[in-house]
Order: sequence, then C-alpha cells, then structure tokens
Amino acid sequence: MNKREHDGKRLFLPVRAVKDWLAGDVFVKLTPLLWGAGYIRRRQFIKGFLAILFECVVVLFSISYGFPNIAKFGTLGTVKRATVYNPATLKNEVNQYDNSFLILLFGLVGLLVLAVAVVILMRIVTEARELQQKDEQGVHINTFREDIRDLFNQKFHITLLSLPSLGIIVFTIIPLIFMILVAFTNYDQQHMAPTELFTWVGLDNFKRLFNNSLSETFGYSFGKVLGWTLVWAFFATFTCYFGGIALSLMINNKRTRVKKLWRTLFVICIAVPQFVSLLLVRNFFADTGIVNTFCSNAGITDFLKSIGLVGQYLDHIPFLTEAGWAKFMIIIINFWIGVPYLMLIATGVLMNIPTEYYESAKIDGANALQTFNRITMPFMLSVTGPYLITSFIANINNFNVIYLLTQDVYFTMDTKLAASNAKDIDLLVTWLYRLTNDYYNYKMASVIGILVFVVCAVFTLVAFNYTFRKGREGRFQ
Amino acid sequence: MKKLAAILMALMLVLSLCACSASTTDTTTTETATEPETTEATTETTEIPDISLTLWGSELTEFQDALRVMADSFIAEYADEANITIEIGAQSESTAKDTILTDISAAADVFYYADDQTGELVNAGALQPVENADAIAEANGGYEAGGVQAASVGGTLYAYPAMGGNGYFLYYNKEYVTAEQAGSWAGLLEAANAAGKQVTMQLNSGWYLYGFFKGAGFSCSLADDGASTLCDWNTTGGTDVVQAILDITADSGFINLDDAAFVTGVQEGTIIAGVNGSWNAGTIQTAWGDNYATAKLPTYTLNGTEVQMGSFDGYKLVGVNAYSENVGWAMRLAEWLTSEDNQIYLYEATNGSAVPSNVNAAASESVQSNPVVAALATQSQYASAQSLSVGGNYWTPTETLGNILANGNPDGTDLQQLLDETVAGIEAAVG
Repeated sequence: MNKREHDGKRLFLPVRAVKDWLAGDVFVKLTPLLWGAGYIRRRQFIKGFLAILFECVVVLFSISYGFPNIAKFGTLGTVKRATVYNPATLKNEVNQYDNSFLILLFGLVGLLVLAVAVVILMRIVTEARELQQKDEQGVHINTFREDIRDLFNQKFHITLLSLPSLGIIVFTIIPLIFMILVAFTNYDQQHMAPTELFTWVGLDNFKRLFNNSLSETFGYSFGKVLGWTLVWAFFATFTCYFGGIALSLMINNKRTRVKKLWRTLFVICIAVPQFVSLLLVRNFFADTGIVNTFCSNAGITDFLKSIGLVGQYLDHIPFLTEAGWAKFMIIIINFWIGVPYLMLIATGVLMNIPTEYYESAKIDGANALQTFNRITMPFMLSVTGPYLITSFIANINNFNVIYLLTQDVYFTMDTKLAASNAKDIDLLVTWLYRLTNDYYNYKMASVIGILVFVVCAVFTLVAFNYTFRKGREGRFQ
Repeated sequence: MKKLAAILMALMLVLSLCACSASTTDTTTTETATEPETTEATTETTEIPDISLTLWGSELTEFQDALRVMADSFIAEYADEANITIEIGAQSESTAKDTILTDISAAADVFYYADDQTGELVNAGALQPVENADAIAEANGGYEAGGVQAASVGGTLYAYPAMGGNGYFLYYNKEYVTAEQAGSWAGLLEAANAAGKQVTMQLNSGWYLYGFFKGAGFSCSLADDGASTLCDWNTTGGTDVVQAILDITADSGFINLDDAAFVTGVQEGTIIAGVNGSWNAGTIQTAWGDNYATAKLPTYTLNGTEVQMGSFDGYKLVGVNAYSENVGWAMRLAEWLTSEDNQIYLYEATNGSAVPSNVNAAASESVQSNPVVAALATQSQYASAQSLSVGGNYWTPTETLGNILANGNPDGTDLQQLLDETVAGIEAAVG
C-alpha cells in the first residue's frame, strides 16, 4: 500500500494541513466546515458520518460548556453568589453566580478539547487531501471495514494505546494542570468556591514562599521542612537498604540454622498493615506510654536526664514529642518497618550471584570483607540501583510513617514554623496535607506541590543519569 | 462477525423494549397507587411534596438514637404538609466543618457543630441565616446570651443553639483535694505534692491556654475580615502571665496531659484533679465514685496576687446548609431539634452530656442538680465566646506557645520575644 504520497520528508502537521487545504479540491476546502465532506466525496460514508458526529459533539460541548467558561477564564468569574430566602416556597432564590472552581475546571477542559479537536481536524484535512490524490490517481481507497482491519494490523498501536492514553489525560494530565494553575490563584479559605470567587494573582504565592517576616514565615518553614525532608529521605533509604542487606547476609550465612523460620518471622512484619503497627508504636512511645513507664522504672529516664539528653523538668523521655528525639525515633521506627522488605529483595539478589565468583575469590585468598566489597556490594548496587533511586523519591513523599507517628502527638516549639502551620518533623508532603486538609490553603499547597515535583524530578534525573552512564551495570565484574 | 453483530443488535432491541415496558408499568402502578388516595382524601393531599433531608449529628450511639426519635416525631408533626424522609448520618460536631467545607453542596441539610466553627462556616457561605431569629434568640436567653452570640456573626443569627456546657472547668477528687484547695493552683499543687499524685491541664492547646491570659485581662478578638484574630498578649504584663504558667509547670505536682491521657490518669489513680470538659463527666464520676467533685476553674498567682482564670464558653449549635434544596424544611427541622422539649429529651437521652441551651430547659430541676452544670454556670461569668474571640490562625501558634511552656521553656527564649512571635502567628492574615 502506498500510504504516503507526500514526497519523502514529513512536514509539521499544521503546515502540512494548511498546504493540503490550499491545494485540495472543493471538498477538501469544505472539510473544516463539515468535517466529513472529504470522506463522503470519496465514498467513505461511515467515516464521514463519524467525523460529522465528532464535530457535533465538539461544537455542542464548546457552546454549552467550553466557550462560556473560556470567556470567564481570564477573571475566573465576577458575580458572587447571593441568595434570598422565600418563605412562601420554603426555598432559597439564588442569582446566576459564577463558580470560580468550575470555571477553572471547565475552562481548562474546554481549551483541551479545542486543542485536541484542532489537531484531529488537521489530520482529517490531510487525510481528505490524500484521499483526493488517491482518487485522482485511481488508487484503491479503503472501505470502512478495511480501515477497521488496519486498526488490528498496521495501526494496532493506535487500537491498543488510545484507551490508556485517554485515561492518562483524564485522570492524570487534567488534574495535574489544574493543580498547577491553582498555584497562580488566590484559592484559599477566604476565597472558597462556590460562595466566594477566586482569581489569578500571578507569581504572588511563589514570592510568598521565599518571603520571610515575623508573621509571614513560609520562607523559613519551607527551608526547614525541605532540609528535614532530604535528611529523612537519605536516612530512611540507606538505613533500610544496608540493614536489609546485613539481615539477609546473616540469614543466608552457612552457619545460620533454620533459615526459613527467621525469614518467615520477618515477613510476618509485612503481613501486619503498616498503619496498624505505626499507630501501635505511637502509643508505645507516648509520653505516658508503656516504654516510658518501663524506662522510668528501670532508671533509664534518670540516666538520660543526668547526661542531658532529656530536659531536667521532664519526668518522661519525649520520644515523639521533642524535635530531636522525634526525628531519631521516626528514622528508627521506619528502619524497623522497612527492613523486612529490603531483606526479601536482597535475599533474591544474593541468591543470584554466581557462586564461582566467591570460589575464585577464595582461591585468590580474599577475606570476607574483600569479597563483600568487591563482589556482593557491586552486584547488589547494579541490580538495585534503580530501586534505591525510586525508594529515595518515595521516601521524600513518605506520608504514612511521619503522619501516623506524630499526628495529634507532636507539637512544635518553633513559633515561626507554627505561624505557617508547619512542624519540625513535617515532610513537604505532610505539610501540604495539613495546609489543604486543615487550613484550606490550596494555593500554597499547590506551590509546595510544584516544588516537591521539582525536587523529585531533579533527584531522579541526576541519579538515573549517574547510574546508567557508561554502562555501569557491568562494572561489578 | 455478522452473526455476533446480529445477536448484539437483537439483544439491544429486546433490552430497549424491556426498558420501555418496565418504565411504563412503573408509571401506571404509581398512578393507580395514588388514585385511590385522591378519591379518599381531601384535595390537599394531592399537593403533598416529597421532602428528603439529611441530618448529621454526633457519632455516639445515644445521640444517634435520640436524633432518630426526634426526627420521627418531626415527620409525624408535619405529616399532613409534606411527605418527609430524614436520613441521619454520624458526623462528630467537632469536625463537622472539615467535612462540610470539602463540598458544601454535598453536605447534610441540617447538622450539629461546635461553636468555634461558626466564623469559618459563615465565611464559606455554608450557613443559612435563621428565619425567625428573634424567637430563637429569646428562647435561648436573648441576643446577649452566650449561646446566641456563639451562633451569630455581625448581628445575624446563623444557627440554632442546641447545647451549652461545652466549656471547661475543674474536676477534683475529694479524697485528696479539699474544696478550698480546689480554688487555686497553689492549693491544688499543695494537695498533689502531699498525696504524691499530680494535677493536670492541657497547656499545649490554645483552647485551655486562653484561660490564663483571659483571667489576667488580656483579650483576643475577631478582626473585621471575620477570619483573622487580633491579640494583645504581648503587651505590658504578658510576660508575667507566662512566668506564672512557668511557675506552675515547674512544680512536680503538675503534669501536662491531653484529653485521653487525663482520663487514663484518673482511672489509674495518678491524677487527682484536672481541667477538662463535660464530655468526660461520666467516665470520671465512675472512676472517683463518691469523691467526684467539680468546681469553677482555680485562681493562679500573678505577681503575688491571686487571679481568677477565664475560659472559653462552648456551645453546640444546629446549622442549616445554605445550599440545601429544601432550606425551609431544613430550618423547620433545626428549630424542632432545638425546641425546649427536645433539648430536655436529648439531655435525658444522653445521660446529661447534652446540657440544654434553652433557658426554660436549662432551668428544669434535673438539669440544675447536675454538678457539671453548676460548675459551668459559676465559670461562665469569667468566660467568653470562642467564635467571637478567635479566628483560624489562633490555634497553631498558641498550641506551640503552650507546648514550650509545658516543657518549661527549654531553650530559655526571652519571654517577650516568645509572646511577640506567638502573637505575630496569631494575627497573621488567614489564607
């Protein structure tokens, strides 16, 4: 089949569409007005009908939802909701008010629909022109059934991927763009749709994030929270990683007996839902919890007091209620929760290291440390490198551990953090959650969300680039 | 392929026919059902509208049961005007705002909420102004009464006062603490040290911490935007209050405990007195038995003189969703739920935890004999309405200040600086 009549190189779609439209006959010229015109002229009736149907849907949507909202997109609405109670009907009489939230959403969807429609229209025009050329040259034109068959053969990728792509656009791209747009508005508790209007404020929110005064402490809080987020992600990732490897090496050691028993014991930890164990542990380590009672009876509290790790006025160890202690405990508890997973992964990798390496190392007289450094670790790193990066990113966004361990328990002692509703132990993501869920500060949460994305993207790119450069996979040999 | 298509087409035809016939039979049955009614009853019944309402109230079983009873009596009362169905959902009063503001139009038509949320709900346009405000206000003690003020913003009544008694006061155990000792922090600490036990109050909560500053004559008030807070704690004398609190926390007889830990402490016998609210009355009475006693908040020593602690008054209100489809019926239901009779019913059905706000209901004998009500009544002259005093940014900074004080100001921060930073946080613009 000679599908492409265009001379060799493919032009950029809009250019191609305009050229084709100018060169085409009257039916091609008519296509932008009546999308099926070109198809129907070449006796592709079903396709023509579908094109017209699609056109109708786009036009109807644009008239009823798209254009009215796009028109207000610049201001996000000007008419505030006003109601008058009518005692006769027992109902409220409401004016025709603007809902900024819906205007933003439908305006965005309207614009996207228009963009997609334009792209499709351009394809239809080029196709109509192609059909005209085929018709003139007497080349066979596909019937509808042949087109369908094409979708299962040459164009099978379209059939397979159109549904997933649509899903990604609807469930990922649109909410993502929406959230990014919110960062440029004043959508917060004082401007809550549908009762109040919100509008564009440009880069004000971003400026606020880097601003610092006595009552505006977002800049201070952002620096502190970001710093702890990175420290946490580093420790959470590497303590679990090396802990897991150490544990699996111990279990896999030749002299360890009943290996399966040990492994099962640790896997049981995974079987208990994480949030259950976290909430339980939070109660264990509460100021009046079981661990504190034990420590105080055993004299550990007094000992820690005497070396200055616990404040003089306290009669308990502030495991989860003092910044330093809480950070330490969070990392330790995360270690305890995360190690079994790493142990499983490490066991799988270790079992795959060819034993010849160890044997030849032994013959060469290498000691245990050398074999570990030269064989085990490089092999582990090369296989689990991508895992390390993703788990670092996952830890930046590790909501569960921090939130469940400290919610309702931890109170900050930093007045500046408190002024922007942050806490010492907050990750960017828990701070974001608190801002939206408790304080309806959607605009600042969006800004933080964008910055979390930037941080994660930078780390991922740098790390992946470094790991996969120059085929580092093979280096362990 | 052809066969498959044919089968599909046939199926579609059959199904669509089914759908048509089903719907037609549906309509005919309803018609036949209504017909005999119209012939029997008067002409009014033909116009009876179907009204469906949703009602949210406390998740506690006795509340849910009582709400059902009151809702059913409402349905019966208006049976000849409308065909009402009421669906009851469980939504704690203290977090009602969070659920409602997530999506106002999807929230219940009528809901119970705690009075600290009035400002934010009004700002979000979630509350329908009360239609017959004068009558409601009068039943609850007039526009100057705490419950009415707690439900009003800018002179407009936005909710129906339902329960009072949501403030805090002192519980003490008569076995260790005398009535005289319960009158001051010094006395309480003396009793605690003598018994080797502890007295408590949650300092890392702006709700309780307010009492010290209020008692010393400092104040917080709502700014003109209805959401931000104005606060004068950092003016002259503020540091003396902070020092007074530090003196209390430095005593080994004092411990800072949250609500749950307080109850545990009482049950385990380590706590002999504490500042808390009416919701724990039943549990504490069970734990202490005959030694159970309540009192107004104690005095504390400020620059050598004894000062009475202030407090927040707390009310629970019934709000009507301004986005309700049947806002008129919703208002009738709210009024019904908060009527004198129903307040007494709710008080009895909940074993005294729903203290009436209605004047006549509150004056009834069973309510007056309740020790919790007595303590709150004495305290109420030193109390101020939460909704009129503080906005959304009050809570986190005061929580932090309280936490620093509960820990004895470990970093040794200058007290004036501490107050300045706290007040800056409190006064920060909302949003």
